[in-house]
Amino acid sequence: MANKKIKQIAIYGKGGIGKSTTTSNISAALVKQGFKVMQFGCDPKSDSTNTLRGGKYIPTVLDTLREKTTVKASEVIHEGFGGVYCVEAGGPAPGVGCAGRGIITAVQLFKQQRVFEELDLDFVIYDVLGDVVCGGFAVPIREGIAEHVFTVSSADFMAVYAANNLFRGIHKYSNAGGALLGGVIANSINAPYAKEIIDDFVKQTKTQVVEYVPRSVTVTQSELQGKTTIEAAPNSEQAKIYTRLALKIAEHTESKVPEPLDVHELREWASKWADHLLALETGEVTSKASCI
Amino acid sequence: MGKFVDRPKYICAMGGAVATLNALPGVVPILHAAAGCGFNISNAINGGGGYVGSGYCGGQSLPSSNVFEKEIVFGGEGRLEQQILSTMEIAEADIYFVITGCMVEMIGDDAVSVVKRLNKGKRLFAADTGGFRGNSYKGYDIVLSKLFSEYVQTGLEKDERLVNLWGIVPVQDVYWKGNLRVLKKLVEGLGYKVNTFFGEDETLEDLKESSKAILNIVVSDTYGIDAAKTFKEVHDTDYITTDFPIGDHGTARFIKEVGTALGASNEVINALIKKERKRYYGYLERVVDAYSDFDLQRYAVIVGDANYTQGLTRFLSDDLGWLPELVIINDLLEEEQKEFLRRKFSDYESGIKPELVFDTDASSVLKHINRHWEVNKNPRYYDSMTPAFLIGSSFEKETAQKIKAQHLSVMYPVSNRVVLDRAYAGFEGALTLTEDIFSVLLESR
Ligand SMILES: Nc1ncnc2c1ncn2[C@@H]1O[C@H](COP(=O)(O)OP(=O)(O)O)[C@@H](O)[C@H]1O
Ligand SMILES: [Mg+2]
Repeated sequence: MANKKIKQIAIYGKGGIGKSTTTSNISAALVKQGFKVMQFGCDPKSDSTNTLRGGKYIPTVLDTLREKTTVKASEVIHEGFGGVYCVEAGGPAPGVGCAGRGIITAVQLFKQQRVFEELDLDFVIYDVLGDVVCGGFAVPIREGIAEHVFTVSSADFMAVYAANNLFRGIHKYSNAGGALLGGVIANSINAPYAKEIIDDFVKQTKTQVVEYVPRSVTVTQSELQGKTTIEAAPNSEQAKIYTRLALKIAEHTESKVPEPLDVHELREWASKWADHLLALETGEVTSKASCI
Repeated sequence: MGKFVDRPKYICAMGGAVATLNALPGVVPILHAAAGCGFNISNAINGGGGYVGSGYCGGQSLPSSNVFEKEIVFGGEGRLEQQILSTMEIAEADIYFVITGCMVEMIGDDAVSVVKRLNKGKRLFAADTGGFRGNSYKGYDIVLSKLFSEYVQTGLEKDERLVNLWGIVPVQDVYWKGNLRVLKKLVEGLGYKVNTFFGEDETLEDLKESSKAILNIVVSDTYGIDAAKTFKEVHDTDYITTDFPIGDHGTARFIKEVGTALGASNEVINALIKKERKRYYGYLERVVDAYSDFDLQRYAVIVGDANYTQGLTRFLSDDLGWLPELVIINDLLEEEQKEFLRRKFSDYESGIKPELVFDTDASSVLKHINRHWEVNKNPRYYDSMTPAFLIGSSFEKETAQKIKAQHLSVMYPVSNRVVLDRAYAGFEGALTLTEDIFSVLLESR
């Protein structure tokens, strides 16, 4: 077995912000470049890899564990587009049990069984529920799992808030060998002020934007076919952006400790932008103000 | 970060609940917790409780859902339901009582609603006793409150001659059963019937009808108060709190307080005190010769819980004529509880004013003793705190050796003695305590 280093990446972000869409497109783009990739969905919703598998759900690690006491990792790996290895951690029914503990169980099961090495992977990409509500959702950024974290965020205040929370998590684990921050994937960035907002946020927190991904109907159309944009519209402008993003991530080596804003700073920062937008776009405020 | 407790003299809320339920006749506890909880709790109960044993369905026979990772991730209510049904099939009992550990509460398992769904009426109960809720005393209060509000019948006619008495926590008071016997007899002496729930010859039927009582007597200012408030709310029965009495000075007060609250006449109260005193001093008198011949007056250090330290210090100071120097209370107490307790250590007939220290670390006892009474650094004249006697738990055995004091384990944990029907409460208990103390003093002879 080749003794190469497996690049493990975690992608976080607020619910519904586009993590799974972005991650699946990155995975698809990377396999097209000839890499061996596993996408590991760490969200009890269990739909991370759907667009890699024709829109179909796969049995999750925890579903399988619920039936039997021991699970072989190979039983819960399902091949998707271009040979991407798809895994869903799964979780309990909403309102019972402990989803966080479920993520820990699933991730540790894979780690213990040394599956990544056996499959000779180049990349493992964790797609993680981004409101890091408890220790379980921080497990991919703890020591010995992912090294690089990227966060998907729009210019929406709640998305930025979730990103900032994630930065705090990274900050906390950073001196204990945890993952560091690669940067922000700015999603649904169409209006010019949206770019400005995100640019200002990364400046404040001493990180960078890896790529600006516009909101595009191609993504929606592809999703409706149960496919990633890379698969359904390989020649589209959007596919080019996802490919460029994937390559940047593949080449990325140096991650850093971010400098999250504290609650007061964050609020001040947000209200400053709100004022700015008001002044900038009087007359149009009502429709655009929802972005901050 | 909050302060941690070094060498706690209690277990968790669930542990207190187990001890409480084991002490009730015909009750089987069902633990909803990880496998280790029941085992550890049983060891702490038996080993620290004067070898109380596992009883009808305790110790290694405690039914437990023994949750593992699967239950933690997906929720353990299903496993609990199985465990309840199989326990009800296998173990005979009048009441099954589900109590919960930390982990199942943290993941949001709802034992109370599982029990409700099973719809077994007044045979099956559940209470949340997650260890993080507090210590053994909390578990006692939680279990009692639950039984008072759901098991005890409402709407019964009051019985003017019936009272309930509690506040003596099974196992945390290693002599609970003996103490309840003694206190029950005292109140009976005033002309009342008494339920103590955990004592000799008590039945669940008595507990069920305890709402007939006209007064609840809580023999503590700290334990069982929540339960008394619940009782008041549900059954509209008033309660009084009294000090845990040991010896003449403590017990005469106890009789007066209880008698007054019940509206007993002075004649009845005084007649009872007189009768008890006559017997008490008749025996106590015997040690007077040895006491003075061998010079058995001692400096005393008293270390333990809020109930006992108070009763013991009064007994040593005012009944025995000893010199209590230092009292250390290890309980977890609120500031106002401390303030309240302080007053109880300052009105001795002897005029003695012992230093009172609140420290939750049982490991700090020696430190406090050395601070209280400066260590001998070999000056020409040194007034030492000798001879001294330390009354505490098994934890203080070594400390006593270090300060060359003699030692008796009275409060939890008591691991160096077997305790059966012994009592230290009241007049009767004070005689036993005197026997025990003087036997230690004279053991080398
Ligand atoms: N750049 C984009 N353009 C258009 N639609 C997008 C884009 N990114 C995400 N979406 C859509 O947003 C919805 C939520 O995305 P998803 O990836 O499932 O979010 P998450 O995984 O963060 O919860 C999906 O319907 C997805 O198609
Ligand atoms: Mg998702």
